[in-house]
Amino acid sequence: MSQAGYVFAYGMVTAVATALGVLPFAFVRQISPRVIAASNAIASGLMLGACFGLVAEGAELGTWQTGVGGLLGVLFILITQRLLAHSDAGFGDVRGAGARKMILIVVVMTVHSIAEGVAIGASFAGGVTLATLITVAIAVHNVPEGLAITAVLRPQGTSLASCAWWSFFSSLPQPLVAVPAFFFVDAFTPALPYALGFAAGAMVFMVLVELLPEAYEEGQRATVGLLVSLSLIAMVAFQRML
Amino acid sequence: MDLVLIVLAAATASALAAALGVLPLLVRPTPPTAWLAWANALAAGMMIAAAFALAEPVQGAASGAFALGALVGILFIHGSRAFSQTEGLALNRLDQATPEYGYEVLLVGSLHSAAEGVAIGAAMASDAAFGVFVAAALALHNVPEGTLHTAVFRSRGVSLPRAAALAVVANLGQVVLAVTSFAVVVAAPAALPWALGFAAGALIYLVMVDLLPESYAGAGSTSIALAVILAMWAFSLLHRVLRG
Repeated sequence: MSQAGYVFAYGMVTAVATALGVLPFAFVRQISPRVIAASNAIASGLMLGACFGLVAEGAELGTWQTGVGGLLGVLFILITQRLLAHSDAGFGDVRGAGARKMILIVVVMTVHSIAEGVAIGASFAGGVTLATLITVAIAVHNVPEGLAITAVLRPQGTSLASCAWWSFFSSLPQPLVAVPAFFFVDAFTPALPYALGFAAGAMVFMVLVELLPEAYEEGQRATVGLLVSLSLIAMVAFQRML
Repeated sequence: MDLVLIVLAAATASALAAALGVLPLLVRPTPPTAWLAWANALAAGMMIAAAFALAEPVQGAASGAFALGALVGILFIHGSRAFSQTEGLALNRLDQATPEYGYEVLLVGSLHSAAEGVAIGAAMASDAAFGVFVAAALALHNVPEGTLHTAVFRSRGVSLPRAAALAVVANLGQVVLAVTSFAVVVAAPAALPWALGFAAGALIYLVMVDLLPESYAGAGSTSIALAVILAMWAFSLLHRVLRG
């Protein structure tokens, strides 16, 4: 296989891993308001925890660049949200506020995969061992990201297969971006801290403006608080371990 | 100066900052609910960023101890709230007539400050400069919390100086816990990831169970989200710039 083929295949592994995130939902039969609150809470915790890793990684490459990227990410969600609010966009059979949130999470997670694609491609420049390490790390942490997407899509009546597809889709930028990032590593590397910061800003803002308010509305404060905190800590500890 | 004295001084200064919370009340005797909501949101962002900063020194195998410590921290706050029956307490009621409410708010405030104390102590044991930074951030957080406390007491007819003093008293637990947890971690360095985890878990849980729901109840979710992010952003940036 050519080098480009390797890079693409490695990126593809991480994308497929994302689809595994639907598995826990195979065991949830009834989607009640309590399940919606719990799903939103878990997705919030996982996404906030993921930001910890994005920022830590970005800051190692450039603190200010990561900071600027973060502000741009927030701005991006603000604008996307406004655009969606004024359009009659639907997601599958869903319309209105539910569809808006579904589109937003798929967009946010897809955009944030670009940063991870750059990371995979750039890591190949440091040798195959490093690349394998980074790819495994990204693949493993993609599973809870698929879970986060499913946690938002599934309560709106999306089928498990569609949830798996959208999870996979959200990670497609990883193989697609990894290849050019590998060939033009000198051009892509300076952009990495901006991209990581952007992903973190977009994810935190999405959680705070959409997911958490709904979780508190639908569920009990103590339960939501527990679920967010536990999933957040689990995600942070998990990233520190890798 | 001895490090323990620095811990003592930093934690005390942070507790005293609560008294500055009276300042907004000099401008507006009954502050609008949105002010309290935004203040809570800023505090929430700072505490999330502080929890993230506490996780940063943890590496590899210590992550397990960190996670378990965090679990204990979360369950500790969860349990004490359930035990004291304050888990459903709204912290922004300025109109509620029952005298118990004032005590309950004080109790929740003391729980917050206990978690903050462990955060200061553990951070200080991990790195003195980092500890002073965490203490400064939590001092900033204590100002809006002090505003909340003094506003609640003022609306019950307590005089301004007494209300400010009570707001400081509610935070005194953090001085004791900062010194204690610092001493424990210095004596038994293996306890460091546990202490960092405990503090991070407790801070996150307080944000998720108290500060954020209160904030969303008092102002629109876009303005709350922006305030939280602004505080997280400023704290993380400052933390890294100071560290160099």
